Amino acid sequence: MSANGWFQIGVFLLVIFLITKPLGVFLARVFSGEKTFLDTVLRPIEKLIYRLTGIDESHEMRWTEYAIAMLLFSGVSMGVLYLIERMQKFLPLNPQRFANLEPGLAFGTAASFTTNTNWQAYSGESTMSYLTQMAGLAYHNFASAAVGIAVAVAVIRGIARKETDKLGNFWVDTTRCLLWVLLPICLIGSLVFVSQGVIQNLKPYTTVELIEPQTVQVTGADGKTTAQTVTQQVIAQGPVASQEVIKEFGTNGGGFFGANSAHPFENPTPFSNFFQLVLIFAIPSALTYTLGRMTGSQRHGWAVWAAMAVLFFVGVTTAYWAEARGNPQLVGVNQAPISSQSGGNMEGKEVRFGIANSALFATVTTDASCGAINGQHDSFTPLGGMVPLINIMLGEVVFGGVGAGLYGIVVFVILAVFIAGLMVGRTPEYLGKKIESYDVKMAMLAILILTFTILGFSALAIIKPFGTSSISNPGPHGLSQVLYAYVSSAGNNGSAFGGLNANTMWYNTSTAIAQLLGRFFMIIPVLAIAGSLAKKRIVPESVGTFPVTGGLFSGLLVATIVIVGALTFFPALSLGPILEHLLMAAGKSF
Amino acid sequence: MDIIFIFATVLFFALAILYVRGCELLGKGRPHEHS
Repeated sequence: MSANGWFQIGVFLLVIFLITKPLGVFLARVFSGEKTFLDTVLRPIEKLIYRLTGIDESHEMRWTEYAIAMLLFSGVSMGVLYLIERMQKFLPLNPQRFANLEPGLAFGTAASFTTNTNWQAYSGESTMSYLTQMAGLAYHNFASAAVGIAVAVAVIRGIARKETDKLGNFWVDTTRCLLWVLLPICLIGSLVFVSQGVIQNLKPYTTVELIEPQTVQVTGADGKTTAQTVTQQVIAQGPVASQEVIKEFGTNGGGFFGANSAHPFENPTPFSNFFQLVLIFAIPSALTYTLGRMTGSQRHGWAVWAAMAVLFFVGVTTAYWAEARGNPQLVGVNQAPISSQSGGNMEGKEVRFGIANSALFATVTTDASCGAINGQHDSFTPLGGMVPLINIMLGEVVFGGVGAGLYGIVVFVILAVFIAGLMVGRTPEYLGKKIESYDVKMAMLAILILTFTILGFSALAIIKPFGTSSISNPGPHGLSQVLYAYVSSAGNNGSAFGGLNANTMWYNTSTAIAQLLGRFFMIIPVLAIAGSLAKKRIVPESVGTFPVTGGLFSGLLVATIVIVGALTFFPALSLGPILEHLLMAAGKSF
Repeated sequence: MDIIFIFATVLFFALAILYVRGCELLGKGRPHEHS
């Protein structure tokens, strides 16, 4: 580890801290219908949209109506994406004349982008037409992010309101999120990326002559290997910058290119790398301030932020330490950071970013449900690779996905105050609302769906040939590959460990089901909690009320998150990355 | 295969709507909170 690396991590956390309040205030104003500086331009557009679509913006919804509107919106748009993928050969903006996607891959990808997962069992530059990338995938990057934020806002309203069964209007929340938050910042952000060298065009791919021809071994259909000299290279083009910004700002993570943010056309400079990191955490961090502002308890918002920051710091420290100490099996190799090398375990990492920025990116992208990568998590050391795995297993509540992080941590807050209430023998309260059995049941449903999905599918995949045949490494590393696939899918993260051939009928369909369950079967009980909380009356604070504002609360929240995660996943982790680490120390690698 | 996947999508979201109803029913008839 180096002072330079720590400095960059420190600056990153400082920037996130500094933007939390202004962006949080802006979000609160947008979703409370208060005046903002963008109203002059956007309000007429918003009104026009409502007039064209027949939406009554004054209509407030119960939680069930809100949930059904969200499900119908997501279901229909998932179907449209499936059809675009299946018909891209016949549609315009396909200069490379890519074929239609196979049904399994089209279904998996449609589910993936609808659920904000963006798990990619393909390389975009060799599979997707420009139309599919823009009208299909980028549309979902915006829409799924807006859905997540809308749900989070509905949950905040449920906590803030009293003696009502109304949580707001799903269509209004989604529209305002798109118009006021996502589109303006993405417009500016895409120009920032263009300034750094990210490409933005609709040109056919460019073919160039290689300066130095390469000789490669090619195995033909008859199984014979022949030598071929390659003199040309095809360089992919496309509308990358406009998709890059929402990829991070909406914590989507689906890259235009297969190499994602390790590709120089997606992430060309140290500044673009830093900007991507900030974009990932911006909204999730700001929503904690929005929570405090809309519920009238700003200190509660900061207490939640502090719990997230502690878990983030522990994660990034572990990943950075594990990667910086290098590979103990490379005996006699200088792995120390010196002026000519980053040092540490550089396998699978970009030399441009080095150890610190790779460890930071891996931590940030899995704390949030982003899934963008700038290095191969599969090539991390066992303990370094375990950090992204654990981050997702904890429910991606360390800042988390846009909206998903906030409503995810509210579930843990409910559990934390419930546990605190049990410990002191009083009815638990959360910001003046009594937490009852129904709220805790719904919280447990939200948590158990992830556990059930991840462990169930992983168990099936590692005992059946249709699952094991895709594993590229034996032993505990192979288990980690499978486990990571379902953790990433159910957690709606979308990052891949690498090494697993996920483009098979089994993995395309099973990961799609995991993504759908992990997204919608979590949101439904969370909205039920919001509906239940909104109905309650406020009870005055008493000496027995557990405060949800100080360090004690933040500590209890961290402990709740860690204990639930550890109790659920420790056995699987011990057979995967922990065992691999111990075997590596004994001289065996996979 | 297209029919199967489209049917699966419709089935999933139909089940999700039923899940909404199930969660709502779980909350019906629960005792009122105590002060």
